Amino acid sequence: MTRLIESHGFTNRELGWDAWLDIVDLEHATPEQIAVLEESHPKAKVSDYYLFLVHQPEILRQRSAAFNAIMYAPGGLSRAERELASAVVSRINGCVYCASVHAQRFEQLAKRDDVIEQVFHDPYTAGTTPREQAIVQFSIALTLNGGAVEPQQLLALREVGLNDDEILDLIHSIAIFAWANRLMLNLGEPQDVPQAV
Amino acid sequence: MNQLDIVDRVAGLTPGSPAYLTRHKREKVAAATELSDIALFDPALPDLALGERLLVALYACALSQATSLSVHYRERLAALDTEPSLLDQVARTALDEVAEPRLRELLRFTHTLITQPAAGDQAALLRLPAAGLSTPAVVALAQLIAYVSYQIRLVAGLRALDALDALPALNSSESV
Repeated sequence: MTRLIESHGFTNRELGWDAWLDIVDLEHATPEQIAVLEESHPKAKVSDYYLFLVHQPEILRQRSAAFNAIMYAPGGLSRAERELASAVVSRINGCVYCASVHAQRFEQLAKRDDVIEQVFHDPYTAGTTPREQAIVQFSIALTLNGGAVEPQQLLALREVGLNDDEILDLIHSIAIFAWANRLMLNLGEPQDVPQAV
Repeated sequence: MNQLDIVDRVAGLTPGSPAYLTRHKREKVAAATELSDIALFDPALPDLALGERLLVALYACALSQATSLSVHYRERLAALDTEPSLLDQVARTALDEVAEPRLRELLRFTHTLITQPAAGDQAALLRLPAAGLSTPAVVALAQLIAYVSYQIRLVAGLRALDALDALPALNSSESV
């Protein structure tokens, strides 16, 4: 059902991820570590990423709380648009793993993949509507130049219909992938997984 | 609930202002951000001194030209009685002038994550245990740099949102 999109090293195929240093062995994990894994993600106990980060359980607990509140909270910017921003940030930062995961999430939520194909091919021109184009452009700008945002850049978002609650959600979605991409890119690497036929 | 947290203060938000109220509608995000900061800069965290962590944060902000956050981390370092010359070297991003080998390794790793996040590889990561860091300290360091990358963008975005609310007033005063 899902169409395979591959461009410039990016893919919407499912990928695995392996850590480059020792992960926590579940059999020797503390009760706190187990609790944080269970709070973080349904598959955290079989994920190298979470099993590595849980070396610092309290830091992971708060990161997961921020991530889940940003990406899954009801209201505000649509979840599909949050996933679009995540995919753009991951494409710009060069995070093949995160781009794959969030391309798939966008497709599940939006029931289309046209803009994902554009983002993988050339993020700078991506967007199927003026609203999407504005979201993509702001995601690129805040990713590449995080230290300074001009109010006029937000005005461009208002002009395509985003209200301030949606603008905040967009800022959060972009910022949390500045965080996620840096971990995924520097603590391990993506792996091919056997594909379902 | 009008107490300002770290991000509010560094972004220059005023309690009750439109940008403040918008931000705090997402209270779970604000709370988890503040608690992340507290966990990452917990003085009791072993294997990676608080002074090292604050220098890494200052370096990340200086590389990102994040002015208000740089001031924030400089103030925290000054409160720890950090040697002024070291503070100055890091604030100027003069990595070559930093004498201490372990700190240089931490800052080198920071430089890659901040400026070229996709340029890192396994060899770059393995330099950290070689410099004496335990695996939990490596996790703390990577989370810290990644968190500051998030914090920089959040603060810049909120500053712009706050300024956007003031724009009509700005425009009318310009026309006087």
